[in-house]
Order: sequence, then C-alpha cells, then structure tokens
Amino acid sequence: MTKKLLPVWIAISSAIIIAGIVLFALLGFNLSGERPDYKTIEVKYDVVTEISENGEKSLDDTVRAAIKAQKLEIVRFESVKEADSNSGSETGNTVLVYTFSDSVSDDALAAAKSAVVSAIGNAQSQGTLPGTSEIFVSAHVSEGKAFYEAIWRGALGLAVGAIVVLVYVGVRFGIAAALTGFTTCAHDVLVTLALFAITRIPVYAFAPLLFAAVAAVVSLLLWLVQCVKMRENFKTKPFDGLTAEEAVAQSVKTSRKYVLGIAIALAAVLVVCGGVATAGVRLFLLPALVPVAAATYSSMLFGPALHVYVKAAFDKLKAKRKLRYVGKAKAEKAKED
Amino acid sequence: MGKIKSAICLTLFTLLIAALCFICTVSFSYGTNNVHTFNSILRLTAKDADLGAPYGSGGYLGGGYSAVYYPEGVISEQEYADNLAGYPDDEKGNADKADYVAKYVAYGNLYLEKETVCGGSDKSEPSEEFKAQFDDTLKILEARYASLKKDGVRLEVRDGFTVGVFLPKDLMTNELYAFACNAYTGDVTVRFGTAADSADTILPARTNKTINDYIKKASSRTAADGTVYVVIEFTKEGREVIAEKTAEASSGSTLYFMIGENSVIPLSVSEKIDQDTLYISGSYSAESAKICTEAINTSLKANGQDLLELTVGEATVHKALYGNNALYGLYIAYGVCFLAMAVFFFVRYGRLAFAHLYTYLIFLFCMILCVWSIPFLYISTETFLALMLASLFLCVGNVLVFERARTFYSQNKAITVCVKNAYKESLWTLIDMHVIFAALAFITFGIGLTNLSAFAFVFGLGVAFSAIGTIGLTRFLWAIMMPFTKDKGRFCHFKRNRIQVEEGEDDD
Repeated sequence: MTKKLLPVWIAISSAIIIAGIVLFALLGFNLSGERPDYKTIEVKYDVVTEISENGEKSLDDTVRAAIKAQKLEIVRFESVKEADSNSGSETGNTVLVYTFSDSVSDDALAAAKSAVVSAIGNAQSQGTLPGTSEIFVSAHVSEGKAFYEAIWRGALGLAVGAIVVLVYVGVRFGIAAALTGFTTCAHDVLVTLALFAITRIPVYAFAPLLFAAVAAVVSLLLWLVQCVKMRENFKTKPFDGLTAEEAVAQSVKTSRKYVLGIAIALAAVLVVCGGVATAGVRLFLLPALVPVAAATYSSMLFGPALHVYVKAAFDKLKAKRKLRYVGKAKAEKAKED
Repeated sequence: MGKIKSAICLTLFTLLIAALCFICTVSFSYGTNNVHTFNSILRLTAKDADLGAPYGSGGYLGGGYSAVYYPEGVISEQEYADNLAGYPDDEKGNADKADYVAKYVAYGNLYLEKETVCGGSDKSEPSEEFKAQFDDTLKILEARYASLKKDGVRLEVRDGFTVGVFLPKDLMTNELYAFACNAYTGDVTVRFGTAADSADTILPARTNKTINDYIKKASSRTAADGTVYVVIEFTKEGREVIAEKTAEASSGSTLYFMIGENSVIPLSVSEKIDQDTLYISGSYSAESAKICTEAINTSLKANGQDLLELTVGEATVHKALYGNNALYGLYIAYGVCFLAMAVFFFVRYGRLAFAHLYTYLIFLFCMILCVWSIPFLYISTETFLALMLASLFLCVGNVLVFERARTFYSQNKAITVCVKNAYKESLWTLIDMHVIFAALAFITFGIGLTNLSAFAFVFGLGVAFSAIGTIGLTRFLWAIMMPFTKDKGRFCHFKRNRIQVEEGEDDD
C-alpha cells in the first residue's frame, strides 16, 4: 500500500509545487503583512499651537469619515511624532498616517486626499477643529525594496546546513535514509513556499524564507523520528525476512503516534501562541502551521513511500556486491541469541 | 544518593532557580519617590522594532525612526506650499512668487525643479538622465542600509523620486548618524587645511588619476581595550602624497576625508603621517564606524558616477509594527504553553514532572541570560519561535526517556535499572537528535543574516542546552528527588505488569 501510493503523493506534491511556481512568477507572495508596497494619506499638524489630545480625536474622526465616504479601506493607522533628523528630539508635530493597499488607484487616492482636505476645511470653518491650526494633508505612494543578500545567504545557509545534516544521517542511519531525508526536506521546503504562493496567506516580507527554514527543521525532525524507529525495528525478530515495503510499512505504523504527537504538539504551541498574541504576531505564528502540515504529510506519507524504493534499491545493491548486510546480520544474531 | 545529600542538592537547585527567576523576570522601583529602578534581565534585553511593550514613565520599547531623502531638485508638497506662503504680498513678492511657481512643476505628490530634474524650464517630465542618476543613487543607499545587517531596517521608494528609510530604535544606537552619513554622495576626496570648505584637495593628486589609485578601502576595527577605529588603507602612491603634504603640519591642520562636499572624517594632524594604514579613533562606536566606512567604500566603488545630492527631510518616530503590547502578548502565550506543558507532565508522570520542570526552568533562564548577554541576539518573534522549538526538543527528549523507563518498569524491573536502561537505550537517539539540529542551526547562523541568523543561533543554543538538560540534568534531578519516596513507581506514575511479576525482580 505504501509503495503503491507513491505516484499519488508525487502527483499531489508536483501539482502543488508547479501551481506555486506559476503563481509566484505571476503574483509573488502576498507580502501585505509588511506592506512592502502601499499608499498613504498623511495628515500633519502642529500639536503645540492648537490641537489638544481631544482635537486629535476630532481630526482623526473627520479624516476617517472623509476616507470612508470615498469607499477606501484603511489597512493600518499610525499616529507618529515628527523628530529633528539631526538631534532626534521631537518637534511637536504629529502625523496621522492612514495606510491603504497598493491596489488603490492613484486617482482614488488623489480623490480621497481632496475629500480629506475639504472635510478638514469644513470642520475648521464650523469650529469642530481649531480654525487657526495648520493642518497639512499629503498623499504618498511607496514601493518597498528587499535586501537580497539576506535572502540568498539565508537560503544558502539552510541548504548547506541541510546537506551537512543529511551526511550525518547517512553515516548514522545509512545512505538510503539520507537520500530520502534530503528529498523530503527539499520537498517540504518547496511545498511550503508553493502553498504560500497559492493560498496568498498574508505574510511579512522576511517570512517565506523563515517558514522555509521551519519546514526544513520540522521535516528533518520528523524524518529523524522515522529513522530512529526504523533502525530499532529492523533489528528485531518480527522484521526478519520482510521485504523493504513490508518493513517500512510496519515501522511507519509503530512510529506514527510519535510523528503525529510531535506535529500536534508543535501545532498546538503555534495555535496557542498565535491565539493569545497580538494581531501582528499572529500574522507571523499562524502561517507557521503550513510548514508543520507539509512536513507531517511528507514524513507520514510521501517519505515512507519513497523510502521503500530507495531502501529496496540499496538493499539490492548491497546484496549484489556481496557486502555485509547489516540488517540481516543483526537479525540473524538476534535469532541466535 | 543519600537523603541528606539529595536534600542539600535539591535545596541548592531550588534556590538557584528562585534567584534566576528573580533576576530574569522581576523589575521594581525603590528609594525615595521610586527614583531607583531594578531592571530584570528580560527588560534589559534588546528587542526588535516590531514588538511593543510600554513600561516605566515614558519608556517605550519597539518601533524606530524613519526619514525621507530628497534628491536635489525634488521637494515635498508641504515645502513648496511653505515656500510660496513665505513670499510677501506686495508687488516684488508676487513677482518672485510667480518666478518660483514657474520654476517648479508638480509631479504626483512631489514638486520638481524644472532645470535640475527635467533638463529645461520648458519641460515638465523628469529627464532620462535624472532617472538614471536616481537609480544609481538608490543603489548606493540600498548597499549602505543592507550593510547594517540589522533586523527591521526597511527602505522604500516614495512617490517615484524620494527614498524612505526605517531604522529600529532599540537595536541601533546611531540611527540619526546613519541617516546623515548615508546621505553623502559624490566622489571621495582628501583635503588638507584648517577648514573643510577652504582646504586644498590633496587626493586625487593628479587629474588623470582617480581616488582608487590612492585609497584601497576603509574598514573598522575594535581594539582589545574597546576603542573603535576607522581604518583607511592607502596605496603606495597615496601614502607618499599624504606623507609629503602632512610634512609641514602645524597645530590646527586637519586632514578631511570628504564624500562630495561633506566631511566624513576630520582628522587633526600635528606631525607627518607616513604609513600604509591609518587608524583613526574618535568617538566612534562599532556601529558608527561601520556606517562611516561603508559610506566611504560605496563611494569609492561608485567613483566617477554622476550621483544625486541628497537632503534628509523630516524624520518621524514610529511605534512597534506588531502592536503596542505585542511583547506582553508573547509572554502570556508563553505562559499558557508552559502551563500546558506542566499539566501534561504532572498528569502523565506524577511527581517526576518536578525533575523535568527544574531542568526546563534552568534551561529557560540560561536561554534568557544568553540572549541578554550575547550582543547580536535580541527578543523578537523569530527568537521566540526558536525558543519554543528548542523547548519542544527538551520536552520530547525527556518524554522519550520517561516512556522507555515506563516500559522497563512495566516489565517488572527495579526502578534504578529502569532509569539506567532508559538512558542507555535513548542516549544515541538523543545525541543524534541534538547533534543534527545544532549543526543545522549553527551552519545557518554562520551563513545567514539578520532575523534568520538570530533564529538559527537561538535555536542552536537551545538545542545545546536541551542536550545537557535531557542527558545530564534531568537524570541527576531524578536521582536526587526519588530518595524521598518509598513507592518509586507511584512517584513516577509508572505501573507494574502484575501478571508477569518474577520473583526477586520487584525490589521497590
């Protein structure tokens, strides 16, 4: 059963990865969490002269009403203090920053700005806002720039780290386990990134790379659990004489509860932390469930199915070259004992 | 271990944990009118710009400064409006105002000076030459800010022809210097005299040579005593020129290292300088020296390029991106997970959970102390995630051993044999698990940058502590906690398989 389903898992993974690559090429990741590209309307006023704390509230209400009338959605609001760029001391000016999605058209932004200007003018003439206060409205279009060195070095670091780890796995658990581990690790990283591209889950600009790292770590952890259990099981009597497919399938059954336990514990930590934390942190923690899910899928379904072929090929190779067949030799020794 | 020794060890561990808990988490004010404050390690630890946590009077963590760079010939709408409003309402004032209006053209949310930006007073679109210059200037800014390698640094193009930059307040100490120094564009020159404006340019010494023929590069060094130096390396030719020009140095003579028309390093010279490498100390911190040298190096690389002069416009102080109370939210989330972990261990393993909890708390406080004391680490969502993953490692390690011991106990082995066998059987699994992930983490840390690097290092550190905790500390704590109970099985919530009891095996 494990072996037969491999084409199904390969088909599912390939479909996800190909769809992810196409969507990434067309749309990229949904980085709206960090607003790499965005538009703003900024309302600046001199706090020293006229507007009190309540005045800021009136001003904010006026601006929001004008923006709402233009049917624009504010994705983020910030009240920032202006500072002297030489000394860092606050000048007393405050800027109310209303952020919009990059999809808002320039015309709509200009219309919203005009609406805000006239709404403030009306409020000043009606006495809702101090008539003498200087309030300046401006609109801006921002385009974020990524620091590519951090991205390629991060990816390189992960790749080198994963290769070193798999060499260790090869030494400790055999080359077959390392090869399967390498494939599942690469698979999980790609599936994770593809799922982010397909689902358009909003993430921070740095997050895709970090989630790829989490996928690699969780994938290796879960595959390691499978390897440990396989090494333990293959030495025992019941596994003596089983084919690669039967042995792997039996071993996966015994390790299933450990793999699921670790995955559920990880998911629970992420859900609890994401649930309790603020919206900003939640935007980081909850999408981390994607790499955990991808790694769980591969370590329970894709990895074992693939390992049947890899193990069978290596077993055959060993038998052909008349090398010492460790699993069998140990099983024989156990039988003698 | 005997009961007395165990009691002494247990008391010492309890006191250690209590002391670490106090130092790491408790902050309070004391003295007349609460003028003194005892800050916990957690409060003193650096945090990234994204996490907010208001504390104390007026103190605020998280957020940072942002500033906007305006290239020559580009001004904001407000500056344009302010300048127009500055003209007097008389005949001359109106005439000047009309000239001013004719001089500028609105471009989106900016005003462009026609002569400088559009290439003529009759044009209203930015010229291709200006666009190319802006792109080159933007590349220099990107290189300079990327070289800071700080988590949270952001750079964006605003309104087509201005550049907005954000720097994290808590992770940097020289944000304003970075704004000013990174704005310097133009060729690197060295002047010698008493004032930067009037000093003679001594490098490049000849018109057919460039500054790269005289200066190799700039770098920063920190000496063992903590003094930070900006290091300028001269070529042979550069050394000769500097030696010749400074031979007649008198008091007041200064060597000015310039970028464009801005002096980046004014070096007082009282005697002849004749060396290949110049170590310049001053009031530099490691960060400011790096900013300064990066500005020089990028300008050396871009020598001869026609770059735009930049002016730093308004700066603003921003709050934390993830929310004002994001850090407290993380602490609460951590508390919930800790509670869940404690409940699981107490329900599954009875009083043996104390051995795990003691180990876990020591692990946790060691992690906090490391994040506080290692300069490049800080609290962020990434490092929090790394801590949680490492915590999971510790829990999985202990569960693995406890479950093996439970299996042996159910086979009616003596508890000491169970513990010994459980650790013996789990040892290589635990070593494999920890070696693999520590290697992955530290390699990623070595190659990666900023937040991924911080995540990897904290995770690697956590895995290392987890190995010590699981393999050594939990076993020791288990050993010193058990002598106080007669029913060892009940202490651990382990049960015998009574059907298969063999004579002499059950010795508890």
